[in-house]
Amino acid sequence: MKAYNVINTRLPRVDAKAKATGDARYAADLAMPNMLYGAFLQSPFAHAKILNIDTTAAKKLPGVRDVVTAKEAGLVKYGVSPARYDEQVFCPDKVRYVGDEVAAVAADDLETAMEAVSLIKVDYEELPVLLDIESAMKEGAIAIHDDFPGNIGAEVHQEFGNFEEALKECDIVRTDRFVNKRQDGGFLEPQACLAHYDLNGNLTLWTSTQSVHYVQRSVSMVLGIPIGKVRVIKPYVGGGFGPKAAVNAMEIAACLMSRRTGRPVKMVFSREQVFLHSRARHQFFHELTTGVKKDGTIVALKNTCYLDGGAYSSFGIATIYYAGSLLGAPYKLPNMKYDGYRVYTNKPTCGAQRGHGGVAARAAWEQQLDSIAAELNMDPVEFRLKNIMKTGDVTCNDFNMSSLGMKECLEAVRDGSGWSTKKGKLPAGKGIGVACGFFVSGAGYPIYRSETFHSTATIRLSEDGGAVNLYTAAAEIGQGSDTILGQIAAEALGVSLDDVKVHSGDTDFGVDLGAYSSRQTLMSGHAVKAAAEDTKRQVLEALSEKLNISIADMDIAKGVVVFKNGNPDFSQLRTAYIKEHRGWEDLPSGGELTFREAARIAFLTRGVIIGNGAYKPGELGGKYKGAAVGTSPAYGCSAQVVEVTVDMETGKVTVDDMTDAHDCGFAINRTNVEGQMQGSLSMGLGEALFEEVRFDEKGRVANPSLGEYRIPTALDMPNVRTIIVESDEPNGPFGAKEVGEGAIMPTIPAILNAIHDAVGVRIDELPITSERLYALMKGKRRK
Amino acid sequence: MKKLITFRVNDREYEIAVAPNRTLTQVLREDLNLLGTKEGCGVGDCGACTVIVDGKPVNSCLVLAVQADGSDITTIEGVARGDSLHTVQQTFVEMGAIQCGFCTPGMVLSATSLLDKNPRPTEREVREAISGNLCRCTGYQKIVEAVQEASRRMKK
Amino acid sequence: MLLLPKFDYEEPKSLPEALAMLSELRGKGRVIAGGTDLIVNMKKGTVKPACLVSLKKVDGLREIVGENGALAIGSHVTVSQIAESDQVASAFPVLARSASGLGSPLIRNRATIGGNIVTARPAADLPPALIALGAQVELRGNGKDRKVPLDGFFTGPGSSVIEPGEVLTEIIVPAAPPFTGGDYIKLGHRAALEIAIVAVASRLTLDKPDGVIVDARIVLSSVAPTAVHAVSAEKALMGQRPSEELFAGAASLAVADCSPITDIRGGAEYRRDMVNTLVKRTLLKAYHDAAGVKGGGA
Repeated sequence: MKAYNVINTRLPRVDAKAKATGDARYAADLAMPNMLYGAFLQSPFAHAKILNIDTTAAKKLPGVRDVVTAKEAGLVKYGVSPARYDEQVFCPDKVRYVGDEVAAVAADDLETAMEAVSLIKVDYEELPVLLDIESAMKEGAIAIHDDFPGNIGAEVHQEFGNFEEALKECDIVRTDRFVNKRQDGGFLEPQACLAHYDLNGNLTLWTSTQSVHYVQRSVSMVLGIPIGKVRVIKPYVGGGFGPKAAVNAMEIAACLMSRRTGRPVKMVFSREQVFLHSRARHQFFHELTTGVKKDGTIVALKNTCYLDGGAYSSFGIATIYYAGSLLGAPYKLPNMKYDGYRVYTNKPTCGAQRGHGGVAARAAWEQQLDSIAAELNMDPVEFRLKNIMKTGDVTCNDFNMSSLGMKECLEAVRDGSGWSTKKGKLPAGKGIGVACGFFVSGAGYPIYRSETFHSTATIRLSEDGGAVNLYTAAAEIGQGSDTILGQIAAEALGVSLDDVKVHSGDTDFGVDLGAYSSRQTLMSGHAVKAAAEDTKRQVLEALSEKLNISIADMDIAKGVVVFKNGNPDFSQLRTAYIKEHRGWEDLPSGGELTFREAARIAFLTRGVIIGNGAYKPGELGGKYKGAAVGTSPAYGCSAQVVEVTVDMETGKVTVDDMTDAHDCGFAINRTNVEGQMQGSLSMGLGEALFEEVRFDEKGRVANPSLGEYRIPTALDMPNVRTIIVESDEPNGPFGAKEVGEGAIMPTIPAILNAIHDAVGVRIDELPITSERLYALMKGKRRK
Repeated sequence: MKKLITFRVNDREYEIAVAPNRTLTQVLREDLNLLGTKEGCGVGDCGACTVIVDGKPVNSCLVLAVQADGSDITTIEGVARGDSLHTVQQTFVEMGAIQCGFCTPGMVLSATSLLDKNPRPTEREVREAISGNLCRCTGYQKIVEAVQEASRRMKK
Repeated sequence: MLLLPKFDYEEPKSLPEALAMLSELRGKGRVIAGGTDLIVNMKKGTVKPACLVSLKKVDGLREIVGENGALAIGSHVTVSQIAESDQVASAFPVLARSASGLGSPLIRNRATIGGNIVTARPAADLPPALIALGAQVELRGNGKDRKVPLDGFFTGPGSSVIEPGEVLTEIIVPAAPPFTGGDYIKLGHRAALEIAIVAVASRLTLDKPDGVIVDARIVLSSVAPTAVHAVSAEKALMGQRPSEELFAGAASLAVADCSPITDIRGGAEYRRDMVNTLVKRTLLKAYHDAAGVKGGGA
């Protein structure tokens, strides 16, 4: 293995000090002189016609500077996939969920804005409310969107191989159903933004987003402002996990009101509004039929899935494809059939959340595979190992496993957890379970059809060479991309991380599709690496001219120039540098020519040194309809073993121990990789045991708080034995690929399999609350 | 009607007039410009707004500013001394206890007040002390490890 | 962001001044102690007092005073103080246990014992333990100071015998008889930041370590509009020699002593089943403490 100086280390994050001291600024912390505060009027009804909106009283309230509705905002439709642009900033004619935006106010202070909102009078005519997929799909049900009479907003039908034929050669065929619940991102920072439209017609929007690029395009399109005049900046973001990956109405409304008033407008979601906005994990109804030969070979899978999508599409088209395409691997599976339906309902819109589309399917299937292993009388680890894919394998839906340390992961958790001494040997009430998973390392295609680069990066050296300024529009949202990209730049350029200043999350810094589909390390990392190499080449070229040494005989490492054939006499260069910096105390000395000196020479001979890099994936496999979703330049994978204790008399599950191995290709920052693994497991544990967004009969969120929507506390989450597997991904920068989302895949099924091992019941509905598990155990006792 | 209150925040005396309906979170952020105190829920469910009032960490979103009259308050801005980080901040930085950072100010304050009271906490005691501070990013493990490491370093 | 509506705020310097103020406000005033419940409800708009009266400057409401095994706890003593008090832990571990499970450390540092009582929430943490311990509360105001048992204090969700103009000042927990033990178990979803799905506080007194039960108290929480006694279960224990079978029998009787509803935290059937489980468990622990510890163990 190559030796590296900056990557594959445990360097502290570049933003850690700012965050540890409270200096880090998030969108809600921002303010500008003369700033207005915005507030929304949101629908109290889940489905209703808007007959009339009277804003007279609101406009008259002293301190109110603007009141806007669809009349002022216009009717341009937007969304995530251009094929399903079905959202408007404000509802012009009808509302589709409790929380749908109807109007907004900008006022001198928030109190006034909220009071004005309460003075807006809207006449509604209530319509039948469709709160579940059954009623939405029922013959004669009212259409939530006129273009989709049956309320099926999207459907997918795919078959690879021949499922029915393949089933004939199977010895065991098993069908199971599984349902999860709607989940919430649960990020700690509610969305917030500040919009400023200036006298020159330039719009700047600071916002809590995962993708400045998509927000910029949407704002430009909806408000008709030339894209060159729209700048979107992401300050620090307090977690995203998917729901912040698309533009939201608040961002557009704030921009609109800023343009109308000529004053900056700030808006902040309350926690309840975060729940109403949602865009988080769908509820999935899966039916899986798997066929296996008696030697344990998995042969065929049929997956039927219905998604409760909520009122609009958001990321839903991608979600429905992922719900099918992310099964199969990491097992060799020649025949796979998938039918998926995403259904509109009168609930807040669902979108993307960590492990997009694949989490419920994975939970269902990995649990079913355990049942099959039991029928085969095979150890669940052995059964999985028998079917596992390896580097170079291609799935039946054309995903190329260009690197895959799946076997290594599974063996690592087996050995690391003491699986063989525990499986089947634990006392009643205690259990151990295993599961595997994999995930894309960046979506192979942008959300809109385009030949665009997915990431660009620019490096500008300061004129004295003392600073390496990295510019990228990539989104640090807590996952650590600023640090990872800084490390990649430092390594590729040959300097230390301290020398690199990372400027990110700004559309003025380039194009980057943002932090979703686990793409920043691989895709932005490629662009940054290329920019650093371009920069280094320019510095060495300048040096080569001065010293008359071939570029091939030079390199830069650890902040100094490495001369492969011994150090030349560079005293003239040094003398010149020192002369230029009389009185400075940090002048270079010693026997090595420093990067700083080299960069100065480059500046003096060529002007500002700017290195560029850009990345888009090469030709990726799959030509069938929908091949764009799930296709990726690389795939991460992971295996987990979980141990639980079930209180037989209350149904309460305690997760005692977790062992996780993840193949991230190559760890740029080992501490960060572990952090992503542990965070993923914690989210998975919450979704397995506690998390469920609930609704009352009128479609209102019944638990829009972090008290009644329960994410794990420090007392619910055990320590994780965290094992990093490195498979050296050929398509990744320095061999790196994802860890951000894939790590959540095995968690839920590993917990479910452990519960089965403990108490012998199979769970077909999440979350597995004490009550639900107790009822299942009670039902089993009765039988 | 506004009330005149005096309190000490991060060793500095303030005398300000506040309306009774403003929370301590609001006054710290909006009047004192101490923006390190975050608001994640407004109802005591998340702990992002944690500050130390008279030696005890509390949810500042559930304290009226008028109630804090006469109190001694520490916010995250008062934890480091100049540019030298508190040991807890230092271990948080070094050990990967920080991801998105939104829970971090509250976590650090809960952790420092634990160590003030109990310099050698067990893992369980650390977990209990931060159980009112939700974190969605880290899974808590590196936070717990950082607090324990800080405890070891501070003992020396 | 949630904003608070407008209201006035007063800090009277003495109790008589406070009582006069509340009386003048005629029900439009509310005492604010820790505020962890009140401020949330005001932010949500479910409570709209015109004036908050803080007893911050009133002396004598923040002490725990012990005498002959009994404790007098000021209404403004925080839940943390109770959870961390050696005095409480040694005299009434059941109370300490119920205090240490309330909300989170951050909430416990503000929430007060008085507040946890007067809000009269069906799932409140301290009342079941206090009722099992036979606590009384002192109410002052309206010119007639009175002491009332906590048992019978609550009249429904959010309501109690406290009258407008009255202030709860003290909670008196009488000394436990010898050979007494108790337990409190709260069942929630998470390990912290929880409101009980079901909670049970039990206390048993024996005539001698290996003797018969002479007093039995079982208080069920979150399974009725107020915390309630498991009357028939208590009756079944009296005069009996402790055994697992006896406790199992009492636990199944307790199920009929409550009237749980299905709400966002749990279903009625599950709650009944959990009453059974928790009563059995608390009795067993109470018995072990009573038989093993000389003197008041609960």
